[in-house]
Amino acid sequence: MQIKEFLKKLSEASGVSGYEASVRELVREEFSQYADEIQVDTMGSLIALKRGEAKDDLPRRSIMLAGHMDEIGLLVTKLEKGFLRFATVGGFDLRVLLAQQVVVHGRRDLPGIIATRPPHVLTREDREQVVPLDKLFIDVGLPEDELSQWVRVGDVITIRRQFTELAGDLVSGKAFDDRAAVACIGHCLQHLTTLKHAWDVYAVATVQEEVGLKGALTSTFGIAPDIGIAIDVGHGNMLGVSEMDTVKVGGGPAIGFGPNIHPLMYSRLVETAKSYEIAHQTDPIPGRSGTDAWAMQVTREGIPTALISIPLRYMHTSVETLSLKDLERIGRLLALFIANLEEAFAEELGLKKAHT
Amino acid sequence: MKELIKELTEAFGPSGNEDAVREIIKKHVAEHVDEVRVDPLGNLITLKKGKPKSGVQSRKIMLAAHMDEIGVIISYVDDKGFLRFTRVGGVFPLTLLGSRVVFADGSTGVIGREKPEKRDEFPRMDKMYIDVGAVDKEHLNRKVGDVAAFVRPFVDLGQRLTAKAFDDRIGCAILLQTALELKTTPHDVYFVFTVQEEVGLRGALTSAFGVEPDVAIAVDVTLTGDTPEAHPMAVSLGAGPAIKVKDRGMLAHSGVKNWMANTAERLGVPYQFEVLEGGTTDAMAIQTSRAGVAAGVLSIPCRYVHSPSEMVDYDDVQNAVKLLVGLLSGPVDLG
Repeated sequence: MQIKEFLKKLSEASGVSGYEASVRELVREEFSQYADEIQVDTMGSLIALKRGEAKDDLPRRSIMLAGHMDEIGLLVTKLEKGFLRFATVGGFDLRVLLAQQVVVHGRRDLPGIIATRPPHVLTREDREQVVPLDKLFIDVGLPEDELSQWVRVGDVITIRRQFTELAGDLVSGKAFDDRAAVACIGHCLQHLTTLKHAWDVYAVATVQEEVGLKGALTSTFGIAPDIGIAIDVGHGNMLGVSEMDTVKVGGGPAIGFGPNIHPLMYSRLVETAKSYEIAHQTDPIPGRSGTDAWAMQVTREGIPTALISIPLRYMHTSVETLSLKDLERIGRLLALFIANLEEAFAEELGLKKAHT
Repeated sequence: MKELIKELTEAFGPSGNEDAVREIIKKHVAEHVDEVRVDPLGNLITLKKGKPKSGVQSRKIMLAAHMDEIGVIISYVDDKGFLRFTRVGGVFPLTLLGSRVVFADGSTGVIGREKPEKRDEFPRMDKMYIDVGAVDKEHLNRKVGDVAAFVRPFVDLGQRLTAKAFDDRIGCAILLQTALELKTTPHDVYFVFTVQEEVGLRGALTSAFGVEPDVAIAVDVTLTGDTPEAHPMAVSLGAGPAIKVKDRGMLAHSGVKNWMANTAERLGVPYQFEVLEGGTTDAMAIQTSRAGVAAGVLSIPCRYVHSPSEMVDYDDVQNAVKLLVGLLSGPVDLG
């Protein structure tokens, strides 16, 4: 599938952390075209294996690619006089919740809206304040007695937002964090079918990243790869945010470096981008990356890990914006990086020779 | 079961000092399980072996309840024999004033407070001390590092019960009662009594690694929204055990959550769904053990959690046992 179509499908699907099933099926459909095996682990991460063509006398090596398929969302906490109170799952910004359209995933899907008290009935103080979570509520239009038939405490709520093509190469939508990375990985697998690669590739769509990197933690443990690359989003250039803290949307993959990233993985990615003339940028990450890479790196005895960021504006809103060209470049960079993996690199990294 | 609850809640067991609780549980559990062991951290791991049943897939199930309770630890002894202290787990300073504490050897202390600068000043722990009644430092039998727990006897209020350390001795009591009532099961059921939950789920982390379960259920207390001007929360005492959807640390496995809710409906056991905005349980650590565990939580609604006078509803407790016995007797359906 074209990267744009795949991203649109993924973005418009509902998959709050812990409830990724419908997104997972979309990923399965796409990845299964290129993979030799697909499995879903206990936590729900989808693991696609594309086998490498290793020479018999060499150890069997593997690389894990991780992008998370969960999105931030909401959860019903209480039914009150025909309205719904809710909590957040993951880091939602309360400023951008007002007047959003939502889907309440009750016994059936119900369209709803996050209600907003009109300015006329607010005091001046109220008008200037971010509305706190306990003052927010959702209206699905049902009378009180009918509401309780369809909705229960704990039901999941997602934001409803259509994928939009902006002028030029940019697109906008929800949950690009981090389904855009899943689209990149899909593109990489597709590209790999035209290349030869010796290492096994585990393409993983992880779950529950937004609530503590949990899918990456467990799937990495299960796979036990030799090396790993996480793909996540990084803040793109926009007004009001320093250039120092952003990467350029349309500037190509932002290759991370810092304590979360193995220096040899970083330099190998940069060399690959250079030698194939793929536009790229570097992204200094001085501490916790807050991504799946953070969990992957310290799994088991430790895994040389890299991080590629997709330049993305307006993170954790329903109008996340990115460049499609950047996604294609990331997919291609990943594929070329993988195709060039050989035993010498494993030796350079000091990987154990244990498994053959 | 009330006798058992009384015995467990009145036992001494701040995090890291769970020995007395473990001995009580060992004594009660021994005849209902096939294996008993204590792991290096102090977790009590017991196994009731499954009898294969045709048509039912046998699973390795871990039930976890933590033995430890919150407490205080002596950090400094002054010249006159007053003891400065700090918290073991989430102790609120407000609940300390006027309290008595007890040490492992059974000796008692009372908590005093420096003169506040303002009359209505919020009490701070570093402005408090423990007075064990020592005439002077020479006659003091306490030292830095000694740990104390609240003193508060169990009281049966009829429908409701109050005691210290319902968090999580009520979970321990429920696991014990479940082991006692569970006649046969197709699953290998590990009843695990964990240590050090209150200081970071540390016993669950290691015991889950050791047990390697397929499915896990933590049994612990949760907050309620049914007291005057409480923080809004749709959990009440007496409305049945609560099946966790989410807390601050984890999202329950949706398959486990549904399996519990469907079983409760089949058995006619009342239940409520729980979304807890603060706090978490052993299930958080178990869930991400090794390559992941399908983990959920059965919560006992509890008022005044982490105070010396917690309160639960006896029906909720009994219904939790009924539900667990039902869950363990049949197939695990994670949908």
